[in-house]
Amino acid sequence: MEKDGERIRNVFETEATRRGFLKGVGLATGAAVAAAAVGRIKPAAAAKQAAPEPVKKYLFAERQNCVGCRACEYACSMFHEKTVRPAKARIHVLKYKGVVDVPVICWHCDDAPCIEACPTTPKAIEKDPKANGIKLNKDLCLGAKCNKCIEACPAKFIRRDPDDGQVLMCDLCDGDPECVKACLAQSGNPMGPCLMTGKVGFGVNLAYRNVTPEEAADDLLRRLFYPNETGERRK
Amino acid sequence: MAAPQGGHFGRILEIDLTRQEHKVVNIDAEICRAYIGGAGLAVHLLFDALKAKHDPMAEDSPIFVGPGPLNGTYCVSTRVSFANKSPYTGLLSHAETGGHFPNEIKWAGWDGIFIRGRSKSPVYLYIKDDEVRFMDARAIWGKDTYETEEMILNQIKEPYARVACIGPAGENEVPYACVIVERFRAAARTSTGCLMGNKKLKGIAVRGTKAVPVVDMDKFYAAARVSKQFAVDNEGWQGLKRWGTAGLLELKHFVTGSLITKNFQTTWYPDIEEIGAEQANRSFWQKHSACNHCPVHCMKLGVIRGGDYDGLIAEGPEYETGGLLGSNLGIADFDGMMAAIELCDAMGLDSISTGGCLGFTMELVQRGILTSADLDGVSLEWGDFEAVLEMIKKITYKEGKAGKLLAKGVRRMAEEIGKGSMDYAVHVKGKEIAAHDPRGDKPRAVSYTMGTCGGDHHEANSPAGQAKRCMHNSLVVCSFVGGYWSPKMFTDMLGPLCGWNMTEEEFWTTAKRIRTLERCFQVREGISRKDDVLPKRMLTEKLPEGPKKGAVVTPAEMKKIQDDYYAYYGWDDNGIPTEATLKALGLEFAIDQIKGA
Repeated sequence: MEKDGERIRNVFETEATRRGFLKGVGLATGAAVAAAAVGRIKPAAAAKQAAPEPVKKYLFAERQNCVGCRACEYACSMFHEKTVRPAKARIHVLKYKGVVDVPVICWHCDDAPCIEACPTTPKAIEKDPKANGIKLNKDLCLGAKCNKCIEACPAKFIRRDPDDGQVLMCDLCDGDPECVKACLAQSGNPMGPCLMTGKVGFGVNLAYRNVTPEEAADDLLRRLFYPNETGERRK
Repeated sequence: MAAPQGGHFGRILEIDLTRQEHKVVNIDAEICRAYIGGAGLAVHLLFDALKAKHDPMAEDSPIFVGPGPLNGTYCVSTRVSFANKSPYTGLLSHAETGGHFPNEIKWAGWDGIFIRGRSKSPVYLYIKDDEVRFMDARAIWGKDTYETEEMILNQIKEPYARVACIGPAGENEVPYACVIVERFRAAARTSTGCLMGNKKLKGIAVRGTKAVPVVDMDKFYAAARVSKQFAVDNEGWQGLKRWGTAGLLELKHFVTGSLITKNFQTTWYPDIEEIGAEQANRSFWQKHSACNHCPVHCMKLGVIRGGDYDGLIAEGPEYETGGLLGSNLGIADFDGMMAAIELCDAMGLDSISTGGCLGFTMELVQRGILTSADLDGVSLEWGDFEAVLEMIKKITYKEGKAGKLLAKGVRRMAEEIGKGSMDYAVHVKGKEIAAHDPRGDKPRAVSYTMGTCGGDHHEANSPAGQAKRCMHNSLVVCSFVGGYWSPKMFTDMLGPLCGWNMTEEEFWTTAKRIRTLERCFQVREGISRKDDVLPKRMLTEKLPEGPKKGAVVTPAEMKKIQDDYYAYYGWDDNGIPTEATLKALGLEFAIDQIKGA
């Protein structure tokens, strides 16, 4: 299944490359662009011309695809805790009214309200410039005494570690999120995987982050199970 | 007494509902290895806790809810076993169900919940790790399973807790009431719902935050990944992923010739196209739903749009629910069938037994043995889903003459009605059989007749298969997913998980030990060869049409099934485990218990 992961990633990267290429040759004549579009010039050759952009990844969840298997939680806690313990996973799946499943993820907002709210100096949480994930400094975090980042998170994603009360932050597994790989490996969902990771523009983070898990679930219920807007039992 | 190293916590939660107390009971590492967990541990505990002919509805009659060693670990598709002595059949019964409820029990740090006693007023249990609370359920009593789950989650303010509960059918002690887990999954066929109603236990909510101890994580992770990858790649699962078990509705009609139709009168039901998987896919399904970590996600959810049941959210059809409440009742209306399935889930009724009783009654009406006057004026004709819905409500509340009659189950109904109705009563050991007609699907006869619980479609179709299924039910893994795993895959996982050096030979011995102890329990209740038979209809009436036209299970075939089975397990000709077998399996304590039974 890793192969599939490669394939999907390649598709996105190829598209991004092509876009970069078109931008790069914007000054060229229309004929040349058309030639590129029909593939007479190989994108690989064009990639050399495009300036390398910093890889800044985001996590993205296509919520209607989630089947609620929680493979992401398993993978996350295996990676971070070396054991299966979803209570300590940096991602969790909410089952709403027993019908829809909503993956609750960190959207890695560019303005990062959680970091802004962090009261310590230096900050206990900060963005890792390499992968765009958020790293927690356990020595600085005030733990259960402080509630600032949890309150600031617009997506209500942040949870506490059940052991020491410190917050659980998504660090994007240093750029290769385990949850995304696990979601893809579960394969077979006719709609495709739910979790994905990618560069800027793919994350659509600001548009989605301002909804709480319950609101997102309610929205999903309305959309998937119309005309039963509330998921109540009828008849 | 040694504590288990990994896989098990070595702790069982014992609940006394009468005194509203709980205590921790430690279990020995040797017991864990000999009986594994789940259904295996259940039979070990219940065999000791109950005496022969113990009244299952007595106050001290226990319910055991047990996950197994693989629950809560990286292993995919794990489940939980509900076990008790069934007031319906008077026999040991266990039901396995999935969802996330099973793993939450394990993450809360328990190898099982052993429930006894009877509360004075309705309660539900809230278990969060080591904290156990008896919560007042008076306001929830009488609510259907969906409302119950939502009210419980709202009350305990823990959206990530998982709930198993009973509906009004369980409260009213309908003998085939079931436990509904997470709104759409059922632990049925065991009367656990009836027992919980009797104990005034409305539900169990669990939330766990611990991790299961593992002896060698690296090796276990590698072995579990192999079995997971097998689950992803294996061809057998692709159909289940896409169609769920509903895909079997068409298959069993067109190819296998074993689709239950009109109370086993035939297996040919052309209207299946109206109520089968393709119709569901076209008009109903919206989303798949998976048990924990399962790559197969066979559960399909949908909503009805338009018509009388506009907006009804339901799960299914599955093969059993679609067969029993669809073709078995001659229903050709998809929405009507889904409404019946949903009503059974909401009321907490076993859809297989409910469908069996309704089909039996419809046949008696067809043959003029019963009239609508006997059924409170409801005319139960084939295909009349509105009458079916009304009757399901009557059964739930044991309302009127009809409700009281149908809530007895086909065996007792036939005994009460007489007039030759016993010929049409299709049951094994007092329990309605499921949607696979054993005349078309002959291996299924092994599951129905030789399986522990009786009339159970899901106990595998050969002696060795049943041994393996005992291990599935004890470990506890889903038999769809685990069914394709080899014993080596299991022992590879169990070694680093529990620190056992389990060989394949030990795997099979353990399976036989669990199966034989289950048998000892049933023998103690008076079960022997005479009970391991299919109902008369399967042995005498030939299939009139369909792909298996003319098929019937002959007495010789039935005898061969029994002989092979007893020989495989080392039981005598009468189906009683021999002393030598019991000694070889380390079950000496059972020798005296089954003597003279």
